[in-house]
Amino acid sequence: MKFLALIFKSARRSKRRTALTALSVAIAVFLFASLRAVLDGFNAGAAGSSSTRIITIRSTSLIFAMPSSHANAIRGVDGVRDLSWANWFGGIYKDPQNFFAQFAVDAESYLRLYPEILLTPDEKQAFLDDRTGCVVGDGLARTYGFKVGDRIVLQVGIPIYGTQDFTFTVRGIYRAGGTAVDNQSMMFHWKYADERAIEKGQIGWFVEEIDNPDRSAAIALAIDEKFTNTPYETKTNTEQQFMASFASMFGNLNLLLGSIAFAVVVTTLFVAANTMAMSVRERTTEIAVMRTLGFPSQTIFFFIAGEGMLISLLGGVLGAGLAVLLVNGERLGITGGFVPAFGVSPRNALTGLAISAGIGLVAGLVPATLASRLKIVDALRRVA
Amino acid sequence: MLIELRDVTKMYKRDTLEVSVLDRVTMSVDEGQFLALMGPSGSGKSTLLNLLAGIDQPTSGSIRIAGAEIAGLSERQLAGWRAQHVGFIFQLYNLIPVLTAFENVELPLLLTSLSKKQRRDHVMTALDIVGLHDRSGHYPRQLSGGQEQRVAIARAIVTDPTLLLADEPTGDLDAKSGQDILTLLQRLNTEFRKTIIMVTHDPHAAERATRVLHLEKGTFVAA
Repeated sequence: MKFLALIFKSARRSKRRTALTALSVAIAVFLFASLRAVLDGFNAGAAGSSSTRIITIRSTSLIFAMPSSHANAIRGVDGVRDLSWANWFGGIYKDPQNFFAQFAVDAESYLRLYPEILLTPDEKQAFLDDRTGCVVGDGLARTYGFKVGDRIVLQVGIPIYGTQDFTFTVRGIYRAGGTAVDNQSMMFHWKYADERAIEKGQIGWFVEEIDNPDRSAAIALAIDEKFTNTPYETKTNTEQQFMASFASMFGNLNLLLGSIAFAVVVTTLFVAANTMAMSVRERTTEIAVMRTLGFPSQTIFFFIAGEGMLISLLGGVLGAGLAVLLVNGERLGITGGFVPAFGVSPRNALTGLAISAGIGLVAGLVPATLASRLKIVDALRRVA
Repeated sequence: MLIELRDVTKMYKRDTLEVSVLDRVTMSVDEGQFLALMGPSGSGKSTLLNLLAGIDQPTSGSIRIAGAEIAGLSERQLAGWRAQHVGFIFQLYNLIPVLTAFENVELPLLLTSLSKKQRRDHVMTALDIVGLHDRSGHYPRQLSGGQEQRVAIARAIVTDPTLLLADEPTGDLDAKSGQDILTLLQRLNTEFRKTIIMVTHDPHAAERATRVLHLEKGTFVAA
C-alpha cells in the first residue's frame, strides 16, 4: 500500500503524457467492447433461438420470395405442428437514416410461435383487431418516442409494395422475452402489405413449429423435398442456422471485427510501451538513486510495471465505462437496431479491462526489466 | 574498527583494455571518524566510495564493514545491506522531483517495517536535525540548492545508518551553502557520532574532517 502511493505520484509526473497514454488505451478498450457487442448481438440471436422452430426460405436466397401456397404443403409434412410466415418490408421512416427492421407477419400465428414477444393481452387483442395496426419493440419505442395510439407512416422501400406510403397505428409495445427476438423491430399484418403488393401472396420465410427437436433435420428435409424441381425450391434450417446465415450475409464478421480489434490493441500496446520506455529513460538517475537507497531490483521492477499497469487500467476503466454508457444507451446508433440483443455485456467490459491490464503489463515489461537490471554506478555516472 | 579494506583492486574493462582504478588498496576507518578522501580526478576516490556503499563490487580484495564482508554479497543481499547500513549523499542531491521533502526523506523508510506514524516521527526528527522542519511539504523545485542538499542529508540519516558516505556534497553549492552543509556534517559526526566518509576536491572542506587520505592513480599517497 505504501508503494502504491509512490506509483501514483510517479504516474502523475507528466500529466499530459499519462493522460494521452490512458486515452489511447481507453480508445482500444472502447473499440474492443463495442465490436464485441456487435458480434455478441449476432451470436446471441443464434444462441437464444428455439429448438422447436425451423425456418424455410427460398433455396436461392433469403431475399427471394415464395408463394403463400407453400403453406398448405408445409402444414402437411409429418412433424410440423404449427406454421407462420413473415416478409421483410424495408420501409423508410421519414429518412433513410432512420433504419429499423419492419416485418409483415401473419400476426396471430406469429405471436403464437414466438411467445418471446411479450404483449399485454389488451395490446395483443388491439393489434389483432386492427388491420393497419402494428407493434413495436420497447427499444424502438424509446429511440423514436413511439407510444400506443401513435401513427407511423412508412415510405415504401421495396418496389413490390407499390409507391403509396403505408400508415400504421401503434397498438402495442412489446418486450423481448429472449434473444431470438429483438426489441428494435416493428411488426404489422402481412395481409395489409400483401393487399397493396404488385405480386400477391408472396412470402419471405416460413416459421414452422415442430413436435420433436431431435427430428428437425428429417422434417426440414421432408419440407424441402415437397418443393424439389419446382420454380420455388426451398431450404429449411433450424432457427439457429437461419440466424447464423443471416449474420453471415455480412461476411465473416468474427474475422473482420476480430482483426480490427486485434490491430487496435497491438497498436495501443506499442504506443504504451514506447511511452513507458521514454518515461523510464528519463528517470535513469532516480532509479539509480532508489537502488542506492536500498530498493531491491524486484521492487523497482514492480514500480515500473505497476505504473504501466496503473495508466493502462485507468484507460481501461475509461474505455469500458464509455462503451457501457454510449453503446448500451445506443447513443451512437451503431447498429440502428439491426443487431438483436445489442450491448456491452459485463463480461466484455471486464475482458476490456483485462486487455488494458495486459497492455499495461506487456508495455511495462521491457522498461521494468531494464530498470531493474540497471547498474547503479553506470546510471549515476551517466548524469554526473 | 568499523571499516577494513584489504588489497582491494578495481579494474574496468574498456573494449579490450583493462583499466586499473584501484590498486591493492588497504585502509581502515574507526567508528565515529570523519574521513575526507582527496585526490585529483580519476584517482579512484569515487570508485572507492562506491565500493564502500556496496553499489559496486571490487575485482579482488576484501571489504569488511561493521563485521560483514560485503565483497561477495549478491545484488539482493547488497540492497538489503545498503538500506540498513549506508546513508549516501550525492553531489547533485538527487531528490525525487515528484515527491515532497517529507516524502523524499521517507523513501528509505518504506523498506522498513515501521508504521506510518513511526515513519512520520523519524522523518520529522531528521528534518529537524537538518533545520528544515518547516519545509517538509515543499517540492525540490521549491527549495534552494543548499536546502535540497539538507533534505538529501536528512534522507541519508533517517534510517540511522552505520555509515554516511558523501560524494562531493558541496560541489554544486555556493560557498555559504557549502559551509553550512559542512557544518551540518561536522555536527552529525560530533553530536550524533556518525562515521562519515566524504570525497572532496576542496582542501577547505577536507579541513573539517578528522582525518584526510589522499588517493592518486588508485593508491594512497602521503599528503
